[in-house]
Amino acid sequence: MTVDTEPQEPESTAMRFEVVSSALKEGTAAAARVGRLALPGRRPIDTPNFIAVTSRGTLPHVTPDNISKHLQVSGAYFSLEDFVEKSQQNLSRPPPIFSAPTSTNHPTPLYSFTGTPSHITTILAARRLPAVPSPIGNSTKSISVFTNTGFQNLSTTDYLSAASTLEPDITIPLADLTNNSPPGTSPTSKRALRMAERTDEWIADWFSSPLSTSTSTFAPVLPIPYPIQWEYLSRLAEDYIPSSQLSGLAVHDPDIIPDLATHQPSLLSLPLLSLSNPSNPHLILRHIALGTDLFALPLINAVSDAGLALNFTFPAPPSPGSPPLPLAVDLSLPSFSTSVTPLSESCTCYACKSHHKSYIHHLLQAREMLGWTLLQIHNHATMSAFFGGIQRSIKDATFEDERLSFSRVYDSEMPAGVGERPRMRGYQYKSQGGEENAGKKKNKPAWQKELAVEDDKVEVPETDGGRVLQEKGVGEVVKGSGR
Amino acid sequence: MWATARRMASTTRSASSAALTFELVGKCSTTRARASILTLPHGQVNLPIFMPVATQASLKGLTPEQLEATGCRLCLNNTYHLGLKPGQEVLDAVGGAHKFQGWNHNLLTDSGGFQMVSLLKLANVTEEGVRFLSPHDGSPMLLTPEHSMSLQNSIGSDIMMQLDDVLVTTHPDKARMREAMERSVRWLDRCIAAHKYPERQNLFCIIQGGLDLEMRRECCREMVARDTPGIAIGGLSGGEAKDDFCKVVATCTEQLPELKPRYVMGIGYPEDLVVSVALGADMFDCVWPTRTARFGNAITKHGVLNMKREMYAADFGPIEEGCGCQCCRPAGQEGSLGITRAFIHHNAAKETVAAHLLTLHNVWYQLDLMRQAREAIIADQFPAFVKKFFAGLYPDGQSYPSWAVNALRGVGIELLER
Repeated sequence: MTVDTEPQEPESTAMRFEVVSSALKEGTAAAARVGRLALPGRRPIDTPNFIAVTSRGTLPHVTPDNISKHLQVSGAYFSLEDFVEKSQQNLSRPPPIFSAPTSTNHPTPLYSFTGTPSHITTILAARRLPAVPSPIGNSTKSISVFTNTGFQNLSTTDYLSAASTLEPDITIPLADLTNNSPPGTSPTSKRALRMAERTDEWIADWFSSPLSTSTSTFAPVLPIPYPIQWEYLSRLAEDYIPSSQLSGLAVHDPDIIPDLATHQPSLLSLPLLSLSNPSNPHLILRHIALGTDLFALPLINAVSDAGLALNFTFPAPPSPGSPPLPLAVDLSLPSFSTSVTPLSESCTCYACKSHHKSYIHHLLQAREMLGWTLLQIHNHATMSAFFGGIQRSIKDATFEDERLSFSRVYDSEMPAGVGERPRMRGYQYKSQGGEENAGKKKNKPAWQKELAVEDDKVEVPETDGGRVLQEKGVGEVVKGSGR
Repeated sequence: MWATARRMASTTRSASSAALTFELVGKCSTTRARASILTLPHGQVNLPIFMPVATQASLKGLTPEQLEATGCRLCLNNTYHLGLKPGQEVLDAVGGAHKFQGWNHNLLTDSGGFQMVSLLKLANVTEEGVRFLSPHDGSPMLLTPEHSMSLQNSIGSDIMMQLDDVLVTTHPDKARMREAMERSVRWLDRCIAAHKYPERQNLFCIIQGGLDLEMRRECCREMVARDTPGIAIGGLSGGEAKDDFCKVVATCTEQLPELKPRYVMGIGYPEDLVVSVALGADMFDCVWPTRTARFGNAITKHGVLNMKREMYAADFGPIEEGCGCQCCRPAGQEGSLGITRAFIHHNAAKETVAAHLLTLHNVWYQLDLMRQAREAIIADQFPAFVKKFFAGLYPDGQSYPSWAVNALRGVGIELLER
């Protein structure tokens, strides 16, 4: 599908969100709903839907021409920490993104610096998704962020000024989050209370400062129980909805939505963006059932890096009985080496129309970058189709039934993927001392000593093709060699 | 159009073999440069041409669609790499490399012999073939001319290369050099005999003989007598002096039949391409443009720019001003991506997308350089093109490399004369 970049309603400068239909006919209780989020100049986003998650300003492995040509994605998540590293050669140089010149095709510095097509809605937050845990705590006026050149502090005023300069369509103000606690644990109640207090203070500062009218604010909802952050949330509802300064919520844990419905129903007139990083489509469906409108899904990038092709539809096909269907196909498995069928029979994406499993299996085996590119295209397309099906089923009032049948037909978890991942970079992870896997790399070294010939000067093949060699190689076995 | 008009005016200058037609459409009146149309089983290509290298059936992160959009209609695959992965059985099962990688244009494959020698230290050449130890388990393996043909037949490349006995041109042992040259001729005979599909795949011979011009001449005579549809000049770009390289190319092209394509293997620096075209060569390949892209280097008419340098961090100009690739094309033109040097700097060696974008640019640069050379030849303004090209690289007009000055002087271009 090619993309028109014509603005939808050029006269309007404000974000608009309307709920088209809801699974519940009356009342304000939390429930799956269909809506439309429209930002001036951007392609409107029908919800529930997802936005892509960028790394250093780009969707991993996919160039902007392929985004425009082959993806239906209408929004992208950017993190400021990807752009503000201190240059080691030139410590005094301000981050270049702030001075990127704009043009009609690239209307804000965020677009022009990253080459993002202008139909894509841009969402700016401080930290990557998921964020690398910081060993340094946040302070009263700043949070700790992780850049390509290390940890640094980002103050509330710096973030405000960055958002004003970059003019994203949507900004998520700073939240005081505990990024350094082990996954699965919740902060102590004392810490949780401080998180709520600080975030509350910061949001007050945020809204009392002048911000470009073309940027909409999605306030963070913290991953702590409602009773601890009720003051903050009621201020959002009572002060900033009437003043029209608040345009949406960035929800870190959608399980709080029923509480919002009970205590602060006016907040549910806003679009709800989930930053909860669900690990499978069942969780996505559950969060939609709670009322989530939009998801930032780092899951897709991770799945592509793992060599997996998503393979599910909504509504699900008739149940195959047991065992349940896998959610994704692991293209690294040798059984695909001669399979000339598309990644998914029903998929119409570029990767499925132009290529087959055998080729993508080969690209993964050979660690050719195109493998991940094609998987990204397919996986984003599969997710778009999944959300399209969800929108239709909510309109048809079959969502809950279909959700149940989806949970019966498909496996509960995503397969792990046996293939090697692309090379990890410093801004993507931080090795943790004392952890079980400390110092252990995900991938094997590219060139193993025992396979390398003695002479150090021998050229390492461009493709590391000499590393994992199959039985049947080039040439033939010399007869009578006693092999 | 120029090309058509000229072609109609002259008598037909073309030659055909079973799976190839070579049509000469223009000749430079000063140098030996030629412009021609090569028709292969998967369509026409315009010569002179640079062929990017998709080593493992993929051009380093670009989709076949993106490669096609650069104008590329003929690219390389490496037999050695495809023989290892995915392997001959898979290629046979899938129906060849075109289907395998979704590339509907032409493919050229090497014989696999060069990688034997360059990548595997313990290779040993005998009359039978190249003996080497399997990098997998150390067991002795053998690559024969017959096996190379069998692999390339499975790949289904439009142009296949004979297995040759490759030596670095700077090899000191003259007797060994002669042996390699003569063996390459004998192996060509074995390749021709083993080639299963001459009606749909072209087998090119490879001229060997090191830097010994007499030996090269002798090899040319022997190879030309075997009447392959195209001819390659091999063994070069292995560290010999550029003067010697030019002498070998000039010596060979002088002797080769006019109506056959001439392919200088492993050549990719822009200066080398332009000088080699002036010396009468038509086809070139090299991994350098795509490899250097992954290191953050952009090829431009003013030389190679390393985008990782701090000076490009806040440079919001295109990778190369005036370039027509998708990255650099001015905003407003169809397909323009508006990529800046600053963005490439931001992601070079970090996100693969920066490598993909520079690969797009560098491949475009190389193809466009040959397109411009071709237009200049057809308009008979090739010497002016050569002078302009070198002036772009050496704006002081003084520091031209002497090898280029000498080689071009040999074909009638005086580079130092403004």
